[in-house]
Amino acid sequence: MGITKQPMASITSEITTQPQPSRLKRLLTSGFNILKQLASRPLSLIGLIIVVLFILMAVFGSSLAPYKFDALIKGAARQSPSASYLFGTDKLGRDVFSRVLWGAREVITIPGIATTIAVAIGAIIGMATAYFGGWIDEVVSRLLDSLLAIPALLLALVMLGVIGPSPIGIVIVIVLLYVPIVTRVIRSATLNIRNSGFIEAAKLRGEANWYILFREILPSVLPALTVEAALRFSYAIFLTASLGFLGLGVQPPSPDWGRMVNEARESFERTPWALWYPAAAIAVLVIGVNLLADGLRRIFRYEGS
Amino acid sequence: MQRLNIRKGRILVLVAMLLMITGSVFGVRAAGGTLRIGAVAPKVLDPALGSNDPEVLFNRSIYDYLVDVLPDRTIAPNLAKEWKVSDDGLTYTFTLQEGVKFHDGSDFSSADVVFTFQRLVTVKSPATNLLGEFEVTAPDAKTVVFTLKAPNADFLYGIGNQLSLIIKDGTEKPNEIATGDKPYANFNGTGPFILTEYKDGESATLTKNPTYWKSGQPLLDSVEFKFINDPVTQVNALKSGDVDFIFKISPDQVSGLDGADGISLIQTTTNQHPVIRLRTDEGPGKDVKVRQAFKYATDREELNQLVLEGRGTIGNNDPIGPGYAAFFDKDIKVQEYDPEKAKALLAEAGYADGLKVTLQTINVLGYDTLATVLQQQWAKAGITAEIQVNEEGFYYDDSNPNNWLKADLGITGWGDRPAPQGYLAQAYATGAAYNETHWSDPDLDKLIQEASITTDESARAAIYHKISDIFNESGPIIIPWFAPVFSASRANVTGINVAPFPGLTDLRGVSVS
Repeated sequence: MGITKQPMASITSEITTQPQPSRLKRLLTSGFNILKQLASRPLSLIGLIIVVLFILMAVFGSSLAPYKFDALIKGAARQSPSASYLFGTDKLGRDVFSRVLWGAREVITIPGIATTIAVAIGAIIGMATAYFGGWIDEVVSRLLDSLLAIPALLLALVMLGVIGPSPIGIVIVIVLLYVPIVTRVIRSATLNIRNSGFIEAAKLRGEANWYILFREILPSVLPALTVEAALRFSYAIFLTASLGFLGLGVQPPSPDWGRMVNEARESFERTPWALWYPAAAIAVLVIGVNLLADGLRRIFRYEGS
Repeated sequence: MQRLNIRKGRILVLVAMLLMITGSVFGVRAAGGTLRIGAVAPKVLDPALGSNDPEVLFNRSIYDYLVDVLPDRTIAPNLAKEWKVSDDGLTYTFTLQEGVKFHDGSDFSSADVVFTFQRLVTVKSPATNLLGEFEVTAPDAKTVVFTLKAPNADFLYGIGNQLSLIIKDGTEKPNEIATGDKPYANFNGTGPFILTEYKDGESATLTKNPTYWKSGQPLLDSVEFKFINDPVTQVNALKSGDVDFIFKISPDQVSGLDGADGISLIQTTTNQHPVIRLRTDEGPGKDVKVRQAFKYATDREELNQLVLEGRGTIGNNDPIGPGYAAFFDKDIKVQEYDPEKAKALLAEAGYADGLKVTLQTINVLGYDTLATVLQQQWAKAGITAEIQVNEEGFYYDDSNPNNWLKADLGITGWGDRPAPQGYLAQAYATGAAYNETHWSDPDLDKLIQEASITTDESARAAIYHKISDIFNESGPIIIPWFAPVFSASRANVTGINVAPFPGLTDLRGVSVS
């Protein structure tokens, strides 16, 4: 347990002793090291491969798909999976395989953008509140705690009801939901190192606050941030899919997987494949991201929320 | 030997059990039997206000109507054995049945009818929409006279409205469960069944009224309501034999019941329909050419096939469907599907480069699927539609700036009405409360008014045919289909004749063998 309490001791001292110019190169090497370590653990490797495959699907899926996501193929409603329709067709005669491929972009982009924004804002607030402390910390923390008390899906339902269902609305909802969580994690990670020698040293050197925040603290909490980002991303995918399922996400004929599951639900008895494949896609992606997050956590020996 | 004996013993027990089981199934059952109905739990029990199907079905089994509106929309005598209409159409005189008693033993008389209809007005029952303004008096115990302010060709539909159930004179709180030893004293009707147990949200048991005025009826010994809110659970309960009858089955569930063992699927033609409508006072729908373009761009055959699996009746451009028999114009020119013609009309209207619109719709009745297919069809005519699916309650909510009365382009659900007037006067006459298209056509207004006072059936049909023509030429609505209502019963249920409004189904002639 001693190790986990002082998670970043070795890396942080490394950072402070390294001279500035080699920073990029050093970052690349450490990135490569992380990949190498991930690849050495089978489960992490599987997670990594899954995530990479889904990102490739998001980028190239639409050009590989045999049909457009909204094309109604005449006379081909309710076809079971076959050579011509790999995943079968839905009740309107849309190719499920094509829709799943097209959907990857939507499913990854919205949670991806939302997670990036939430993690950035959460990291800044978390580091700042822990570093400055005092009444700012008190006020901001209590405010965010009160946001945390509301169940995620309920808050999402109310907010989307007010601002109307749209991709931007979902991004706003996810950001509002995850900023408090990320803030809390980063704040506690920052508290752990706030009184460390290298911060004191930087203060004594007369460094500006922003320098200490972004050049001294940020690199130290980066592992915690990476793991948190991966976890948030997987939750965001799930939340987006849930909202899509509830009809509050993107609008038809979007091939969002959550929405596809919802649309296929009523005619499940007759076209089960229209439900299986998008549901499986969500499950595999979320498992993949979670395995990856787990791998990262082990590498960083970080035990967060 | 020991082993064999045990085996023999087991077989004996098995046979005994089998006998017991078959005995209970095929054993003696009274002729009428018990009908177990799976339905959504009622919320409003007041007979004048509880307007959804399970509420009406429950109430109409305990109470009686003055006249019955039959499933084919004809009107039959019930508590009123006959009636006369004055030449000016302003006075209706009803003569009541003799020897009718309420469940508490008291006699039924004209005072009860007067009380009932006056109460409909005081509690603002939706039944008054069809009744219009009237005064009601009782010259003697067996006669009731209604005096109308203006002629109303649909007055009898108001008298036989699903909420116009006759309650006992002076009943202050009809259908309120009382405290004390007579909890159901407020459920005091003249109807075929008497309420014997009510468990809120769970079940209700009704038993045969042994002194029912209509001899030989009801056939059933009892009716049991099992309140099941989830539609999939209802279907499963029917399949497993826990209930004998369910109604209003969603189209997606229907195919699972079609041809299922021991189950009869019942399809009832209704006038329930989606209205795809443009506003006529703002947005692209101001231009009649645009309205026509949308009609040509819509392939109703494909919509019916894909969304309803071909079970609907293809609609035209007006709300008077084939369910209205003579009022429906059989010779009307069926709207053809021609995306090229739609394109040409749009170009004439100034949208040569295509038209961009937002299509508002709701998340029930398969209307989101309907919108998805429409988007593809319209794209072929150069109409780019963005779909906005709304939660049903939100789309009909006044606070929504894009609600059903305000959106430029949207899909609205309209339920079955006993007469076309229910749509025309409420939604298409200038300034009508539900005029969602904001349409105003003086010729149409005149015809609607004329139809409301024309009691001669064929003259009225001629007026409705003219109205259908106006809708075809310049109307702002498209009716893709008239949807059937699906119900299902166990095969041993006989005599069930489901009404277009399923709650109005008459259980008096039903039996279970």
